[in-house]
Amino acid sequence: MTISTLSDWTGEVGTVTIGATKADGGTRSGTVTIGGERDLAFIGNPPTGNRPLIAYELCDDPSLWPAPVIRFLGDRASDPAEWARFAAGEYRPDLIRLYLTSTRKRGFSAFAAITTTVENILQATGLPLIIEGSNDPELDSEVFRRIGEAGEGERLLIGTAEAGRYRSIAASAMAFGHLVIAQSPIDINLAKQLNILLREIGLPHDRIVIDPYTGALGYGFEYSYSVMERIRTAALKGDDDLAMPMISSAIDSLTVKEVREADPSASDRTSVAWELYAMLPATVAGASIVCVRHPSTIQPLKAAIEALWSPPGGGA
Amino acid sequence: MPTVTFLPGFRKTELPSGSTILQAAQQAGIHMNVVCGGLGKCGKCTVYVKSGRYDFDREKYGKFFTPEELEAGACLACQTSVLGDVRVLIPEESIVQEQKILIDVMGTTTELNPAVWKYALRLSPPSLDDPSPDLTRLLWGIEKSGGPNEGDIYAPLEVIRRIPRVLRESGWRVTATVVLVPGGYRLVDIERGDTTPACYGAAVDLGTTTIVVFIRNLIDGSIMGVASNYNRQISCGEDILSRVTFARKGGLKKLQALAAESINAAITEAANNAGIDRDHIYEVVVAGNTIMTHILMGIDPAYMIEEPYVPVVRRYLTAAASRAGLEVGENSGLFIFPAVSDFIGGDIIADILASGMAEQEDISLLIDIGTNFEVVLGNRDWMFACAGAAGPALEGGEVLFGMRANAGAIEQISLDLETFTPAYRTIQHTKPKGICGSGLIDLLAELLRACIIDRTGRINTAIEHERIRSGRQVPEFVVAWKGETGIGKDIVITENDVKALIMSKASILAACRTLMKQAGITHAEIARIYFSGAFGNYISKENAITIGLIPEVPVERIFPIGNGAIEGANLVLLNRRKKRFLDEIARKIAYIELNAEPSFMDEYTGSCFLPHTDLSLFPTVEEMLEKCRLRRGVP
Amino acid sequence: MALKALDIYKLLPKKNCKECGEPTCLTFAMKLASGKVKPEDCPYLDENVREILGASTRPPVQRVKLGVGERSFAVGDEIVQFRHEKTFFHEPGIMTAVSDLMDPDSIQAVVADVRDHLLVRIGLDLRLNGIAVWSASGSPDAFATAVEAVEAVAELPEVLMAEDPAVQEAGLAVCGNYRPLIHAATGDQYREMCALAVKHGCPLAIRAPDLDALAGLSGLCTAEGVSHLVLDLTSPSLHDMLNQATAVRQQAITRTAPALGYPVFLDTRPCGLPDAALICGVLKYGSVLVADPLSEASRKALLVLRQNIYTDPQKPIQITPGIYRVGSPGPDAPVLLTVNFSLTYFTLQGYLEASGTDSFMLIVDTEGLSVLTSVAAGKLSETLVRDSLKEFAVPDLVKHRTLIIPGYAAPLSGKIEDETGWKVLVGPRDAADIAEFLEKEWT
Repeated sequence: MTISTLSDWTGEVGTVTIGATKADGGTRSGTVTIGGERDLAFIGNPPTGNRPLIAYELCDDPSLWPAPVIRFLGDRASDPAEWARFAAGEYRPDLIRLYLTSTRKRGFSAFAAITTTVENILQATGLPLIIEGSNDPELDSEVFRRIGEAGEGERLLIGTAEAGRYRSIAASAMAFGHLVIAQSPIDINLAKQLNILLREIGLPHDRIVIDPYTGALGYGFEYSYSVMERIRTAALKGDDDLAMPMISSAIDSLTVKEVREADPSASDRTSVAWELYAMLPATVAGASIVCVRHPSTIQPLKAAIEALWSPPGGGA
Repeated sequence: MPTVTFLPGFRKTELPSGSTILQAAQQAGIHMNVVCGGLGKCGKCTVYVKSGRYDFDREKYGKFFTPEELEAGACLACQTSVLGDVRVLIPEESIVQEQKILIDVMGTTTELNPAVWKYALRLSPPSLDDPSPDLTRLLWGIEKSGGPNEGDIYAPLEVIRRIPRVLRESGWRVTATVVLVPGGYRLVDIERGDTTPACYGAAVDLGTTTIVVFIRNLIDGSIMGVASNYNRQISCGEDILSRVTFARKGGLKKLQALAAESINAAITEAANNAGIDRDHIYEVVVAGNTIMTHILMGIDPAYMIEEPYVPVVRRYLTAAASRAGLEVGENSGLFIFPAVSDFIGGDIIADILASGMAEQEDISLLIDIGTNFEVVLGNRDWMFACAGAAGPALEGGEVLFGMRANAGAIEQISLDLETFTPAYRTIQHTKPKGICGSGLIDLLAELLRACIIDRTGRINTAIEHERIRSGRQVPEFVVAWKGETGIGKDIVITENDVKALIMSKASILAACRTLMKQAGITHAEIARIYFSGAFGNYISKENAITIGLIPEVPVERIFPIGNGAIEGANLVLLNRRKKRFLDEIARKIAYIELNAEPSFMDEYTGSCFLPHTDLSLFPTVEEMLEKCRLRRGVP
Repeated sequence: MALKALDIYKLLPKKNCKECGEPTCLTFAMKLASGKVKPEDCPYLDENVREILGASTRPPVQRVKLGVGERSFAVGDEIVQFRHEKTFFHEPGIMTAVSDLMDPDSIQAVVADVRDHLLVRIGLDLRLNGIAVWSASGSPDAFATAVEAVEAVAELPEVLMAEDPAVQEAGLAVCGNYRPLIHAATGDQYREMCALAVKHGCPLAIRAPDLDALAGLSGLCTAEGVSHLVLDLTSPSLHDMLNQATAVRQQAITRTAPALGYPVFLDTRPCGLPDAALICGVLKYGSVLVADPLSEASRKALLVLRQNIYTDPQKPIQITPGIYRVGSPGPDAPVLLTVNFSLTYFTLQGYLEASGTDSFMLIVDTEGLSVLTSVAAGKLSETLVRDSLKEFAVPDLVKHRTLIIPGYAAPLSGKIEDETGWKVLVGPRDAADIAEFLEKEWT
């Protein structure tokens, strides 16, 4: 066949390895590597780089978590360690992403609990971890120090750095050997600016994962989709400051009107559809890690990614 | 009626109870700073009421003052009503002061082809053998002296009325003055005896803030006199929008009168300096932005600031100068530069003319910076232009210690990159009172080099240094300690100031880049960057590039052209053939509406970074910053 | 590739004659570059130049129309590979599959559902587009009966999926006047299929083992007089469908393989992952998508995804400025100000509903810009807020005088207070935090 895709790209997405096994000084049962693409997502026989991964999201305070997930999980949601063990064991995501939502309550001061929670999750699952800390600059320094310390040696991916508050999280990542999620509000310029700021305070590019912020399906998803495509093509054209792998999580998927108001009998199905129809496109746009909250989304999403990834005959 | 006495100087004025102190000041001829147009928003019109009955809402406007200032009677002139006789102290900083105004001795040479001719005539008196009428006799005389054909000269009634007497009283020895206007030749004056050497014209830059006038000798082209002053409309609002607002509220007549008055004052001063009679000024050429020239001509500008932003007139305008209230020869001509749109006015056409970019094959970028900016990209074949609002930050507005380029303004500053100790120079070498545009650009570049701010303008409060502190609301950097200043407080630059400056510079750079993109031009293809306006003469080219105010090109390709508007007006005054060329320039320009250009916002966010998000556009700046970071020990 | 305005300008007569309606040749060049005018609008172009400009400004993907009447739709006319480069113009038609092995009642139930299903979002009607009738039996009569069953219920665009020319002809005999898509011509029978397409004036899908063969077949079919072609890239491998569709779009828009400059047809059934295949078809260049009937959840998500992807990225969808109510707010309810960018509006509205607080949303006209950009661009200003409060009579709706503004508009808070006399509360930057904010600040 002579007519094929036109792949005259010159750049390459950098690779990032998350997690550390015993051999690397951690306790994970395996590590995952993302990035490395030299073409658009899933293009090529076999495709370039690494297959996109699925992170399952959970939290330590479910009161602000989407109702369909809590209904589905029942009591398990009250203990993050149990939650993680259940999800990892039954649904096989590639990573676990823990949101320390407890820090977002007014007047939070239970810093010691952060250490405990992170330690418990580390024990509950051998999967590489993503940990989301506070989103209050007042708390950042202590929260991120705790996360960093508790996970020392585990090569966690921690979030979320933003242009207005990136120093504490970067400091923790550098001190304890972790990776950082750099989030910017759906804008390629702002994404790049943050990466430059992080580089200039000493965080190397291979420790950054870009989060371009993902709107839910029907609520701005198209902006995120296009920004991801733009970031990916910029990297492929050789822009080093955008050549990091991306993580995408449409965190509002399960709180949008369509899901909230779905008939109870269709609640799980609608949840899965809303997550699948945002996260599969995210991988096509170039995201290396996509995140879901409803456990039932993991299987169909995984099958779809697999089918997009594998050329016939099982190539890669 | 209450009397308001202004201190110092004891200037007095009477006006009805309930009037504001600002109105009193205007009536007394004191020009106060009114950045916001008298809405109580800018806090620049501070006065101290020393005695008397007045009304001022301290609760509402207290935020502009310290408790000590309030104690001393601080009020906003625009929000204080006079209820009885009051004595008011106007502090120096509240008065519009002499600003550094650019007066260039014109560098450009042009052929001398003025539109004015004077003919000294010796006519034979009429007789029964030669009974032709006075006017015909005069016009024949002109024709015989090498002037235009008798039939081609139009004589206005005012001049005809004077002819019989002047001819006879002078013993038939007169000087006739003919001006070429678009309608043809026009007899504008008849004088006794030979006055041919007294043949002058005036070139005027009618700016929103300042007015500059040159008087030229139209026989040899020499400069007779120069003067400049403030546009007196400032008392009706500082920026152009507040002027239009003022015009809308029935103030058009007043604004027109103030514009004419301002020009007259400058012409009078220049004429007095030169020792010439204003009546010998036969042509006045005015370059100004579209709104200013509309107001001067008494044309309502109200509809220009609303969508779809349409000016009333685009082509050049001519009229008798007296109809605009200009006090020069009664029938003298007035020529107003053409405009491209309401945003690209005659001042920009004058800039283009003065720069010479419309005659070159190489591509030039012309930038005129003020509160509003205009950018033109092109060469002799094509031109793109756009305009936008940069905000007042680069002129010192909306910056806590920002000020205009008045005495005491820090106009140049550098930082010791180790100790952060500033070295600065102020205008007129007085103690610093604030920082003006050129100083702010220096400061921004230096803060970046010293790694005190990051590329988004955030101050790194992790640095322990006495000059870096958290400030009242946002972090700030101390530029000058209380003791060394002329205002008795620390002069600081806050993180918000830095961000305002970055947003201003980003609009300008984004506009340049949008035009370049439109034309498909890279910065390497730009042969020259012309900086027009006072601003361009004083800023450091290197620092302007360092912060990404303009695209990076080798500094030797950057040319400040000074006051391009006045230079263009001079060129047209001296060489009437340029008038036709002006229309050609105006026709050539394709105006790009930035708001309708989808890529503009993208360029803007990309430019909200020091110097730009695409670092490869500023290679030498990057190299320099890299060295600075290494020196500071930042990896 | 697209020409820049200046490149075009160099080819123009530079007379500035204004006969094209533009003030200068340069502005004409700018509009030509962005596709707003046609080369023919200039009366002074020589034939050669017109050809060059035409070739580089004409859409590289052929426009093809399916069906007749109200529900007919056009695909093609695309000019970019990525939607952010300009926009995707014609969203893919989603064709629900029925087979001629189904009994007519079942067929009609499916057709009626496609006819009647409607999802309204942001003021737009989102629908499935048509029916694909599949010849599973191989019998011309059965096929004709199935097509008749479809026609009996609705005038929907159709795809006639029958590669046996005799079967195809039987279907066309029923609905050939309604511009169905004929599926599909192959190397073996393309002459007969082309003859049918010409006879009925219908678009024709073509199928070949690989892209080279497909390009060849496309040439053969155009030689037979069929110019409205659709390329079938169906494969059991999702990976192959994505790769081939991408290749076709790239080749078409770079004009390297003009024989592939046609819309793409994808049957999502063979790969066994209908949701995934439909998603890929919507994202990556499918123009006619065939699918089995979907669950309500999938159908909704699919229609919304298609709407998202085919929204013009340069024209944000706007909400009409005004007062919007969440729940049944009374005179003590909070008033939350935000911009008329639809995304901002829907996000805030969603969170307000979820918070359970009855409230007023004051939507001001920022021309569809988001809060962040409208503040930066000066579109969201204190005077706009003042005028909007007045225009929408907000003081008559509530007893209090407190306005909640978005977190990103914080720099305006003082100016808004001064201008309106209302007290301003700066809300959260993220609408997700609005419930917590109201709980804390609004009691």
